[in-house]
Amino acid sequence: MAANTGEHEKFMAEAMAMAEEALAAGEVPVGCIFVRENTIIAKARNRTNELRNATRHAELEAIDEIMADPALTPPGSSGYPLADTTLYVTVEPCIMCASALRQMGIKQVLYGCSNDRFGGCGGVIGINDRLAHPSHPPYEAIGGYSREDAILILRRFYVTENSNAPTPKSKVNRVLKTEILPP
Amino acid sequence: PDQLDDGWGGLSSVDVDSGSVSKAPFPPFFRGAVDDILPEEELPFERFKPPPEEETADSIRTIQAWAVDVPDPRSIGLMLKWLRRSDLDASELGHLKRVRKQNDTSTFLLSVSTSPSLSSEPPSLPADIPLPAPYLLPVPASAALTLTSLDLKNALWPTVYAPRRKGEVEPWTRGRARWAWGAMRAAVREAQQRGRDAGELPVAAYVPAPYQSDADADADLASDADDKGADAFMAHDTRRSAAHPLRHAVMNVIRQIADARARSGDVAEQPIHTSTPGDEEENDSDSVPPLNANGTNYLLTARTLFTTHEPCIMCSMALLHSRVKEVVYLLPMRATGGCGGGTCVPALPGVNHRFGICRWTGDAVLEAEAGLQVDASVDA
Repeated sequence: MAANTGEHEKFMAEAMAMAEEALAAGEVPVGCIFVRENTIIAKARNRTNELRNATRHAELEAIDEIMADPALTPPGSSGYPLADTTLYVTVEPCIMCASALRQMGIKQVLYGCSNDRFGGCGGVIGINDRLAHPSHPPYEAIGGYSREDAILILRRFYVTENSNAPTPKSKVNRVLKTEILPP
Repeated sequence: PDQLDDGWGGLSSVDVDSGSVSKAPFPPFFRGAVDDILPEEELPFERFKPPPEEETADSIRTIQAWAVDVPDPRSIGLMLKWLRRSDLDASELGHLKRVRKQNDTSTFLLSVSTSPSLSSEPPSLPADIPLPAPYLLPVPASAALTLTSLDLKNALWPTVYAPRRKGEVEPWTRGRARWAWGAMRAAVREAQQRGRDAGELPVAAYVPAPYQSDADADADLASDADDKGADAFMAHDTRRSAAHPLRHAVMNVIRQIADARARSGDVAEQPIHTSTPGDEEENDSDSVPPLNANGTNYLLTARTLFTTHEPCIMCSMALLHSRVKEVVYLLPMRATGGCGGGTCVPALPGVNHRFGICRWTGDAVLEAEAGLQVDASVDA
């Protein structure tokens, strides 16, 4: 049941809507949705500031939502709760989330832009398929879906004054750059 | 300890051998003055030493930086003055010399470009100095730790030499070792009990109240796990009871701390960092904005986490996100661990926080064999 390109775009738009929600809430704008049999089963966004917990990334929020719903995780259906589930996320999952997704047996990850500081699906290290694991199978992670939107929303977050930073820098002279070159 | 340096701090040669471990109730560092510094070989743990890196031309990590040639020596003074006033943040270039002289030409380093393929614009230059166009070149990503590395890096760009010195590792006092001993025992006991009584995986994580070298803290040291201060947090693995594969002890303890801070309201006084100063400059570039800011709320700054098993990659990165100071673990997880087993998360290039890793070799090993074994394929 492979989704076609149009469906990928449709689902990434849903993930992007979650990123917009994060931005509106003053969070680093990352959003995601989990799709099973062409149906969205969970959507979430980054809540690290709200929950005072740097580990509450969008992916882990959504996974908890799925695991809290017995209808989505029928007991005994599979060793891996996400074996038939695809993740759409605006930014490449970080090393923590990439490992979590492998432990959950995710089928596939489609993401927007890559993350060369924390990326766990190739950005820094390939936790998804390059690192060996004694039991969890590797999964495919493909970037580039709605990549420009994903980059732009991050830029929109970073051009705004960040009053939470230890020593806020004046960003009055900062301009939002909109030009994006191919990767 | 040096002869044990096999690239993994000697960890791979260490085996738990109950027969050789003394059954004395207290290890030797319980004798002697609290504030005495313990010699490295008497510490109840071995520090993780990252493998030497960047000793060959292939292993030199580089970043792309914008540079400009200044052909006229008379312009150098003006150029330096302009650089000081410009808002080109040089924090990512602190390990490099700013100017390189070759023959009659001086070349100035201007700014970092993290993703050259995304960069369309070079930084703007002073209008009143005649200069050619700036260009990108690869420069070393970090200071040189050894003279071999320095030679290789200097060939790319003049680099700062910053060798690791022996004194750089933090000294431990007897008092602190006793504190750690108590903390590791507490974690071991928790894991044993949860494994035995509750059928959980026997894995626990403990963040004790920070060590204080005053007399009161000293009185607490040899005491039991029950004597947890308000600022101490203990959690165990609940993946079985919660039927959730990610309910690891470390994730649970981080959540516990976050919830406690949120409840007590003292977070209001803590700055919530959504960005770090080092990131700012990159945001000005044309690259993809960095994500080190992804919800950093430095829950574990200056804190030591004790755990019975080497944390998995997810948990190791969660600890990095939380800015833990150091992690002390008892049992290595060679296939799945994120602190030197499967990979070493804080040693990966690019990550913006490092934490210390210690493999416990002290007396808690006595208890380690009683019910703490988990399958080698488990992510602890």
